[in-house]
Amino acid sequence: MRFKKNDPILAEVDMTPMIDIVFQLIAFFMVISNFEQTQADERVRLPADVLAQPPTVKAANEMVLNVGFVRDPDHGISEQGPVVFHNSQFCRITDTESPAEVLIYNRSSRQNQTVKTVPFAYRLDQEKRLYFDRGVNVAEEVTVIIRADTHVPTGLVQKLIQMCQESFTASDGSTQNGFAKFALKAEQSSANRAFQPRGP
Amino acid sequence: MQFRNQKTPEKIEPQMAPMIDVVFLLLIFFMLTLKIISPEGDFNINMPAVAQAQTETPKLLPDFKVRLLADVATGQLIEVRFGQRSLGTGPRAFQLLQQTIKEQIAGSPYADEIEIEIDADFDLNYEHVISAVSACTGEVSGTTSDGGTPKISRFVEKIKFAPPRQSQRAPVGG
Repeated sequence: MRFKKNDPILAEVDMTPMIDIVFQLIAFFMVISNFEQTQADERVRLPADVLAQPPTVKAANEMVLNVGFVRDPDHGISEQGPVVFHNSQFCRITDTESPAEVLIYNRSSRQNQTVKTVPFAYRLDQEKRLYFDRGVNVAEEVTVIIRADTHVPTGLVQKLIQMCQESFTASDGSTQNGFAKFALKAEQSSANRAFQPRGP
Repeated sequence: MQFRNQKTPEKIEPQMAPMIDVVFLLLIFFMLTLKIISPEGDFNINMPAVAQAQTETPKLLPDFKVRLLADVATGQLIEVRFGQRSLGTGPRAFQLLQQTIKEQIAGSPYADEIEIEIDADFDLNYEHVISAVSACTGEVSGTTSDGGTPKISRFVEKIKFAPPRQSQRAPVGG
């Protein structure tokens, strides 16, 4: 009997197909991931509706206003607001219906802290003047896109719209008309969930 | 000078191990930065400024008025009214609203001129207003089993809001 020589055979794994598959995956994720700044704040839970179709024609100038609540269930913070999320700040719309301060979780100090809200009217005025300085006709060329959370009181959205419509004093001293075009955003939903509220 | 021609050219074997490491790193980066956004659409609304409203030409037809009543504490919808008629509440109310508007529009030569005014309580949750705007704007008919994408039929293009009412809740800020 002749025993086979004890020669451990090194398995040579061919890496080429593995690399091919991994490259395919990378290409897939590169195409899918979107680095574009859509100004869509994730904290706003939009109402869902069947008729919400992405617009076929994109407006020339868009100003997106995100109105929502500050929620952090992991740290015991329930719904606070509503506030406008603008430039990393919390803005109150009116003094009576929006809170003067909100509670947020501070990661560095690991505890909840209160943050004051700023009035949105002043910021809105700034935006109007900035558009004017850039030569954009605020009333005719800018569409205000309102992304409001499901629980925001309707009256507050109406007040926001009224604030946008107010005329402003431009840098050259003239009085200009405010925003005139508005669009309300909603998420797309399936037909069998038509008109159902989204729940808490 | 001694040329080293005799020696056979060495075979250069590219090392795959670092290549695989880098490729996996890239893959993990893209997987982590992936953000899935659900598609959004918008509803255009007519919001004439006060100054414009006064110079508007008188309309041929009176507006259709949709009244939405809310529970003050929770913001939930209590009742939907179309003109003088109460349509109840819940998703059924909006389906009835859609039917009613469809019947009013059908056969009317002035369908393009009709304007709907939505009058909602201040404290009503925003999602119910969107449902109302959607019910007035159109409906989706046909299913994908027919072979095509669902058809969207539009009823009324002009939707506006009545002036905001007073909030019945206690002031939050101040």
